[in-house]
Amino acid sequence: MSRRLVVGPSAPTRLAGDSSITVDLAIDLAGEGDPSWFVGQVRHAGPTGLPVVEVVVDGWRFELEVEDERRSILRGRATVERDAAAASGPTEIRAIIPGRIAAIRVAVGDTVEEGQAVLVVEAMKMQNELRAPRAGTIERVAVAEHQTIDNGDLLVVIA
Amino acid sequence: MTSADAASLRKDRHGRRPFTKVLIANRGEIAVRIIRACRELGIPTVAVHSDADADAMHVHLADEAVRLGPPPAVDSYLRGDRIVEAARATGAEAIHPGYGFLAERASFARAVEEAGIVFIGPSISTIELLGDKVAARRAATIAGVPILPGTLEPFDVTAPDAAEAIQVVAARIGFPLLVKASAGGGGRGMRRVVSPAALQEALAAGAAEAAAAFGDGSVYLEREIRPARHVEVQLLGDANGTIVALGERDCSLQRRHQKLVEEAPAPGLTEDERREVHDAAIRAAAAVGLVNAATAEFLLDQDRRFWFLEINTRLQVEHGVTELVHDVDIVREQLWIAAGEPLSQRVRDAAQASARPVRHAIEVRISAEDPARGFAPTPGIIGRWTMPDGPGIRVDTAVQSGSRVTAEYDPLIAKLMVVDETRGAAIERLARALDETVVAGIQTTLPFHRFVAADPGFREGARSVDWVDAEWPAIAEDRRRTALAEAARLAALAIGGDAVTTGGAVTRVASPSNGIAATDATRSTWARAGRAEAIDRWPR
Repeated sequence: MSRRLVVGPSAPTRLAGDSSITVDLAIDLAGEGDPSWFVGQVRHAGPTGLPVVEVVVDGWRFELEVEDERRSILRGRATVERDAAAASGPTEIRAIIPGRIAAIRVAVGDTVEEGQAVLVVEAMKMQNELRAPRAGTIERVAVAEHQTIDNGDLLVVIA
Repeated sequence: MTSADAASLRKDRHGRRPFTKVLIANRGEIAVRIIRACRELGIPTVAVHSDADADAMHVHLADEAVRLGPPPAVDSYLRGDRIVEAARATGAEAIHPGYGFLAERASFARAVEEAGIVFIGPSISTIELLGDKVAARRAATIAGVPILPGTLEPFDVTAPDAAEAIQVVAARIGFPLLVKASAGGGGRGMRRVVSPAALQEALAAGAAEAAAAFGDGSVYLEREIRPARHVEVQLLGDANGTIVALGERDCSLQRRHQKLVEEAPAPGLTEDERREVHDAAIRAAAAVGLVNAATAEFLLDQDRRFWFLEINTRLQVEHGVTELVHDVDIVREQLWIAAGEPLSQRVRDAAQASARPVRHAIEVRISAEDPARGFAPTPGIIGRWTMPDGPGIRVDTAVQSGSRVTAEYDPLIAKLMVVDETRGAAIERLARALDETVVAGIQTTLPFHRFVAADPGFREGARSVDWVDAEWPAIAEDRRRTALAEAARLAALAIGGDAVTTGGAVTRVASPSNGIAATDATRSTWARAGRAEAIDRWPR
């Protein structure tokens, strides 16, 4: 069986810089080293409709989407075209951890630099600053101070 | 078991219990730890809980439970008034505060005692004095304990003409130096200052942060020692004025003043050096009239000099490693001391011998934090939860599979401790234990601990306190990327391969004699069958 699959972290566990990896099931799949690992049950509930599986390797946890390579290439083309159209559009900042909005550092209409603190999220006694991923103008602040937020909630839109 | 056997723990204490009922003003693993100590002494317990913890382990283990309020700590575990009321209503004779929350608040200890209830911990006056870090520095100096060069009076940075006077003092201390909050700990209000030009801004920022965190914006200056190790001494004192040091711990592996790994004894010290730091800790504790359990913290510099930092008037998170090395139960001892008993002979003997330790213990804090994102919290629901077992292993936890880790409280979910004859053996045992450990559902600090257990630098001796912040981020990125590649292969097999997924969740640990490599799943039918069998055999 020669089957090439594209595997990449789905949104909940994806970090900046993570990329998809193409795996050929027909060739040697031996990993490096001998880390401990755990593979969860496959779910088909991902937002993309792709099967998602939780994998923990060496303590690192991932939720991975797996897609047939041919389908991935077709979808990739569509995404590139969409991204090109949206490159100059607004950027949404979404919550990456549940918590509470401790402070809002910007107001609608403010100009922000890349890396500038936009708001502070408090979770587990810690204050985490969320920074602007790019320079721009604040188009919308979707939350209020002291509001409780969940993973994925829209926080701020930068135009 | 006969009744005589059942009473054996209490026999040397006049056949009675320290208290008839104890309320535990805490949650999580430390509440469970204290409930266990009480049960072993035959003391009924009262748990308190927020709405988020109604179904928590500490609530189930206690004999009674009282609801405090909604999930936020300010509405529940910090409501001293409700806790005292709960103790009254249930007839508890004493309250154990655990660590964190109200453990070091003199006002809470006072409210407890005014209600005619025993506060299990140091006296109100000791808590008050040591809560003021500048006063603690003064007390240590008077007792002849070396403190870091710095100021002995707090500054009010808002006072007129303060700036010039502070510059003069700062020049005398030397740069880089630290601005620290008089009222605080945990790094809040702390600023590092490398030059006189940056001092004014750091003072203002530190004071503002301290005011927000502690309601007191006064700050002081202290010379920065780098590189340094964090060495702390476990202290126990009784009402007769006897104070002993129960050995020391090294807690140098920290990130931004939050400890990640602790060990006892501190590696690489001579017997004389151990005695030196134990004696200094006892002198400082005697100067403040310490009763019950506390910890004196020191920095150890490159020239092997100890510098006093502060005394914490509580049971420390990492008390377990001391218990494992010296074979005493610190919480049990706390209960007897609070009931007015003198230190037991067992503790005195252990303290006598503590400069010549014959065992080594290491603790790693398994927290709901992402070590690849600056240890950001990762609340969620725990999936697979497999803790290690076997010789020399202790796990203190209050969660299990299905538990929800909320963003409201401390992210610590389990303390994994190992003990063995030597440090080298303890590290091997830790590596073995971590290989058996599986936590799914949320990201934890386990990748960090797995790195440490295999790290030659850690095996050689303790790291300095700056190591994690300086070195770990790059290591984390590299190791996570390697893990992601391996995880992708496993995911491809789980979804694209036909054998692996059918049995549901699959676990393998890095034990060559038990595990069968994932690659075998695709090689042949008999290998797949063997693999499935190995999976079924492996304890979950």
